[in-house]
Amino acid sequence: MAGGDVAEKKEHGKKGKKRKKGRRLGIRIDMTPLVDVAFLLLTFFMYTTSMSRPQTMEINLPPDPNVKVETAESNLLTIRVSDKGVIFWNIGIESPKKIEFKDLRTFLLEKGQANQKLTVLIKIDRMGKYDMMVNLIDEINLGHIERFSIAPLTDSDKALMAKVQV
Amino acid sequence: MPKFKPHRTSYRIDMTPLVDVAFLLLTFFMLTTTFKPTEEVTIVLPSSHAPYKLPEQDVMTINIAKDGRIFLGLDSQILRRRLFGAANELKESVEVPKEQLAKYLVSARTANPKLRTVIKGDKESDYGVAEDVMKILQDTQITRFNLVTELAR
Repeated sequence: MAGGDVAEKKEHGKKGKKRKKGRRLGIRIDMTPLVDVAFLLLTFFMYTTSMSRPQTMEINLPPDPNVKVETAESNLLTIRVSDKGVIFWNIGIESPKKIEFKDLRTFLLEKGQANQKLTVLIKIDRMGKYDMMVNLIDEINLGHIERFSIAPLTDSDKALMAKVQV
Repeated sequence: MPKFKPHRTSYRIDMTPLVDVAFLLLTFFMLTTTFKPTEEVTIVLPSSHAPYKLPEQDVMTINIAKDGRIFLGLDSQILRRRLFGAANELKESVEVPKEQLAKYLVSARTANPKLRTVIKGDKESDYGVAEDVMKILQDTQITRFNLVTELAR
């Protein structure tokens, strides 16, 4: 194909002066292998590329863990999560109440709107899942609650939850 | 009945536009690509609605595997060599015992104060490990860090 074209052109060239008049021969190159290679590389790069950078969620902790931040009891919403992933909430020193995870978003939105100074304290059992913490923080962010903190779940918290569950 | 012999016409497709598009896309992908680093552990990310993107450079990643092992990853090879030695400089992250994490964090931060800390935890990992890691971060004065998540759909 392409070779034929070239040969023809040479023959044409030998005719000397006539060359100027000679009509132009369109050279056709078979592009199929080129396309093959191009698409092969294209698919390779498409697979290896990581287009989207993952999302991140920002957390600020107080610099000194020993400094106690004073919060009024009425502004403190405690969320406790048991090792089974059951969520309890209470404000101040009330006894904890159970809540389903799917209701949490509307619940937090309501609480956040009702009290602008609301601070959420998250306490998750060490045997709970990391996923739970991320989801809780996400819900808090979605509920437009600015302040939250994370604290370890103590034995007294566990006892408190067990009392409610029974 | 006479048989119809289909009249075969040899046709040629002009592939030039196809090649143009293919090479255009090829160059685009070649320029935008950053190769996925080979991960030491596979981590299934939890999902969230967080809007921030992971910074492109100066990142220190604390990977928490499903089984609770901790891997410390740095994006700069020079820093990895300084911290983990030449044998580990090509690894994306290196397993670090929990007790030594603080030491590594401090030396990484002194080497490059611009480092941003991110925690990349597997969604199925125990919260206890994450709690310990956050405690260590707080003790080493890294009070601002990010959690890597996947965008929730």
